[in-house]
Amino acid sequence: MQDVPTTWFLLLGAILFTIGAVGVLVRRNILVMLMCIELMMNAVNLTFVALGRELGSLTGQVVVFFTIVVAAVEVTVGLAILIELNRLYQTADVDEVAGLKG
Amino acid sequence: MRPQLPTLDLVPLYPLLVVTGWAVLVLLADLFVQHKRALGYLALTGVIVAAVVTVALWPGVPTSFQNMAISDGQALFFNLVFLVTGALGLLVAIEYLERKDLQRGEYYALLMFSLAGMIAMAAAEDLLIVFLGLEMMSVALYVLSGSNQRDMSSIEAAMKYFILGSFASAFFLYGIALTYAAAGSTNLAQIGSWLSGRGIPKDPVALTGLSLLLVGFGFKVALVPFHWWTPDVYQGAPTSVTAFMSVGAKAAGFATLTRVLYSAFSPTFTTDWVTVAAVLAAVTMTFGNLAALVQRDVKRLLGYSSIAHAGYVLVGIAAASPVGVRGMLFYILAYAFMTAGAFAVACAVERREQSTTTLADYAGLAQRSPLLAAAMLLFMLSLIGIPPLIGFWSKLFVFRAAVEANLAWLAVLGVLNSALSAYYYAGVVVQMYLREPGRSPAEEVAFRPWRSALAVAVFLAAAATVVLGLWPGAVVNLLMGV
Amino acid sequence: MNFPFLTLITFIPLLGAVVVALIPGRREREIKLVAVLFSVPSLVLSLIAWLLYAQNAGEIKFLEEATWIPTLNAYYRVGVDGISLPLVFLTTLLTTLSLFYSSYTIKKRVKEFFALFLLLETGMIGVFVALDLVLFYIFWEVGLVPMFLLIGIWGQPQDRPQYSAIKFFLYTLVGSVAMLLAFIAIYMTTGTWNILQIPGLKPLAGNPGLAIAAFWAIFLAFAIKVPSWPFHTWLPDAHTAAPTAGSVVLAGVLLKLGGYGMIRILLPFFPDLFKQFAPWIGVLALISMIYGALVSMAQWDLKRLIAYSSVSHMGFFMLGLVAAAASLEVANPVLTSRAIALNGAVLQMFNHGIITGGLFFLVGVIYERTHTRDLKAFGGLSAKMPVYYGVMLTTALASLGLPGLAGFISEFMVFRGAFALIPTYAIIGVVAIVLGAAYILWKIVQHVFLGEFSEERWQEIFNPAHWHFSLDMARFEVITMAPLLFFMVLVGIYPAPVLNVINAATTALLAML
Repeated sequence: MQDVPTTWFLLLGAILFTIGAVGVLVRRNILVMLMCIELMMNAVNLTFVALGRELGSLTGQVVVFFTIVVAAVEVTVGLAILIELNRLYQTADVDEVAGLKG
Repeated sequence: MRPQLPTLDLVPLYPLLVVTGWAVLVLLADLFVQHKRALGYLALTGVIVAAVVTVALWPGVPTSFQNMAISDGQALFFNLVFLVTGALGLLVAIEYLERKDLQRGEYYALLMFSLAGMIAMAAAEDLLIVFLGLEMMSVALYVLSGSNQRDMSSIEAAMKYFILGSFASAFFLYGIALTYAAAGSTNLAQIGSWLSGRGIPKDPVALTGLSLLLVGFGFKVALVPFHWWTPDVYQGAPTSVTAFMSVGAKAAGFATLTRVLYSAFSPTFTTDWVTVAAVLAAVTMTFGNLAALVQRDVKRLLGYSSIAHAGYVLVGIAAASPVGVRGMLFYILAYAFMTAGAFAVACAVERREQSTTTLADYAGLAQRSPLLAAAMLLFMLSLIGIPPLIGFWSKLFVFRAAVEANLAWLAVLGVLNSALSAYYYAGVVVQMYLREPGRSPAEEVAFRPWRSALAVAVFLAAAATVVLGLWPGAVVNLLMGV
Repeated sequence: MNFPFLTLITFIPLLGAVVVALIPGRREREIKLVAVLFSVPSLVLSLIAWLLYAQNAGEIKFLEEATWIPTLNAYYRVGVDGISLPLVFLTTLLTTLSLFYSSYTIKKRVKEFFALFLLLETGMIGVFVALDLVLFYIFWEVGLVPMFLLIGIWGQPQDRPQYSAIKFFLYTLVGSVAMLLAFIAIYMTTGTWNILQIPGLKPLAGNPGLAIAAFWAIFLAFAIKVPSWPFHTWLPDAHTAAPTAGSVVLAGVLLKLGGYGMIRILLPFFPDLFKQFAPWIGVLALISMIYGALVSMAQWDLKRLIAYSSVSHMGFFMLGLVAAAASLEVANPVLTSRAIALNGAVLQMFNHGIITGGLFFLVGVIYERTHTRDLKAFGGLSAKMPVYYGVMLTTALASLGLPGLAGFISEFMVFRGAFALIPTYAIIGVVAIVLGAAYILWKIVQHVFLGEFSEERWQEIFNPAHWHFSLDMARFEVITMAPLLFFMVLVGIYPAPVLNVINAATTALLAML
């Protein structure tokens, strides 16, 4: 483990973040979009942990704990909204949920 | 030997603690109180207490909570803006929820949690606190947007707001990570001293971090090109929620944006973000106004108008001077009264069954409800920037700051935009005053504005629009101490 | 201890508007009475102020000053001189007459009408008395909204009042925001908003490009309001659509706001630029004069005809102003010509207010009876309505510049000054006078009063059930017109009281340039 340079972690974080961001933009299923957002969050978590070790400061690790909580909260709310949406629209496809236009 | 605990100076955080504690109190009281309307008044009391605490802290406490929070004049001023918005939002909601049959206790608790998030954002001196405040505010707002579960557009708004909001949060978080990578800290002051200590060349990692943070803020305050969720969400969410979040979320975003730009990314990166902010301001106000021209729905129209106003506010930030910051602060206060007031009127016009928010629903309002129409007239004129209303001074201040900062082109564009915006605001006035009422008065839901909490909100906002328009010096004096 | 004349004159109508707004809407008689009563003190006070001022005319009088927004260096600063006083008096007179007249003719949404009209009066007077650019701008815009609503709500449905109201609103607003930017630029270099101090500080002298931009920005705002060709297109629509009292105030006072601004702000702030661009502005004035007269002649709608005649007559004003501005450094003998031209220009504003205000009342007289303004529908009314014929003839002749009536004096002075200073323009301008005579005699007098009276056609347009007063001018209409006729004749045969006041101020202004 000691051999893996921090840059690689950062690079992996960047790649995961990009995958997540692209996923949110191209996928139309809300559940998948939700997962992509989670992926983005976790990519940032990885980055923080790696940076914390590299910089020798505790901040990186501390931020991760908060982020995990925030991510959990977001998922909870997101799923609740998704359930409501499914109840009213019978779908999880964002393109079919387009009543608001102007 | 007793363990040495760090001394915690909680004084600067009193407003935040009051609001958070009160939110919990409301949540608990919800279990026992049958009349949910009373919870609204309970929450309102909490907001007033927090406002009193904020005023008592004036002109600001320099000490900070482990260097994580700061309660300077700017933070306290923003607190007041949030609390005023919260109070208006509560007054509006008490009446509106009753009429829409949505009266529930958690609405008020969530609104207060969101308020606490905003206050945390304005007081944040650390990017982590910014993020936590942002999430606290946003998550509560997602839920509030979807609080009308019978209404498809409310759920749709919540879903769109949630997806794009968390998307933006992720960008924001990544921005924090990169800034942390560049500066080795998430503390704004430390980032500032580290980045300026390095001087030229600029750190590309920090620049990327700044860009990502700007994207995150761009979503939150609805700057073009990150604005597309705004009209949908503002239109779909229950109007009482829109009244609150259109002002509160935007003000909180600007509060933090200012702090991040001015203390962390100055002076080394000033030229960079000034250019970006100026261009974003120009694009945002122009697009917002152009898009608003063709709207037929008042909530949507106000949504686009709020995008345009975010552009005007950004003009003050782009000026990168104390005059610009004061202009921006004044603008946000003015915006709070004008926009919350306008949405409050929209709440009043709306009825139980259908969502009557199209322009045609405002036809002949001056004859149906003269006071309501007069208030809306004031808000529209103030949003255009007609003196002697508060909106005029706010524009004058930010445009003057732009001219002083050698951004005269931005001021010219802003003024042209004001003239452009007159067209659609006047359109609302035309409906209210020049058209005959479409329905007979008997079909109207009995609405007695002088006896409802909603009317108090409309009256307060209208009074502030006029009084602070006649004596802007009152606010300006306050801002001179910021 | 100075008596706060101007504050009272300006804000008593505002107080009246508030009082009117508090009266329950169904008490229409009381609303009308209160509104008229609240307009009277301003009229009386402005007359007293005029008489006091005339005793030793010259500089700014009745100055009141109070700090208002210290951080912005903005003051509440009001004062009048011989240029603004006649216009203040004109405003109060026409407003009182309009309110009196409207109390007989306005039937719908009475409360709103009278409240808005009083608010409008405050805005208009404020522009004439403000001596601080911020205050000036605020009053400038305060009048905008009431006028917008007056046109839109009480306009005749067939004249597209909403379209006209929005057009009026946007035209004015575009001009005023440009003006605001210029004001900010001026403030940046001079550090003051004081209208009296800025000329001495040579605003924007160090930055010619910006100075030119500011000059044209301010010119645009005022030229739209005057209105000068090619910015005049809002005017015929707005005038035609507005209710009678709205048209009277629009023509009588609102157009003067632009003219007054040119004299009070544009000329003293940028005398050199005004001289430099005088040839161009002169061309605009000539086009306005001749084009306005020609289009007037082509109209068959009586109100539209008078609206276009306003464009023409305000062109005369601009010609006088251009003549006075065009020859800055010419030595003393010519100063008299300049003074004559400028005096003529100011007097032309006053006269146009009295005369055209009167003409619009008179259009209202016939419109209230017949609900048409189509010139082809009338004819031979001189026998049917002899008093109306007499009053209209007098007013129309005053408008075309018949010696012995007011219009002649000011037009004569404008041309007397212009012939000495800018002869080419003056010669071309004379065409407009000839055209003016043509449309007034041929269109108004001939088509309405002379010619064949057709009983059949009259039955078609006149429905006695809709008109409860006498067929010829009713008493309230005569009372409304009487003061205007009085001033037309007074200024026509003995202009000295008015001219002395104007002359003192214009001489001071020209000496300062």
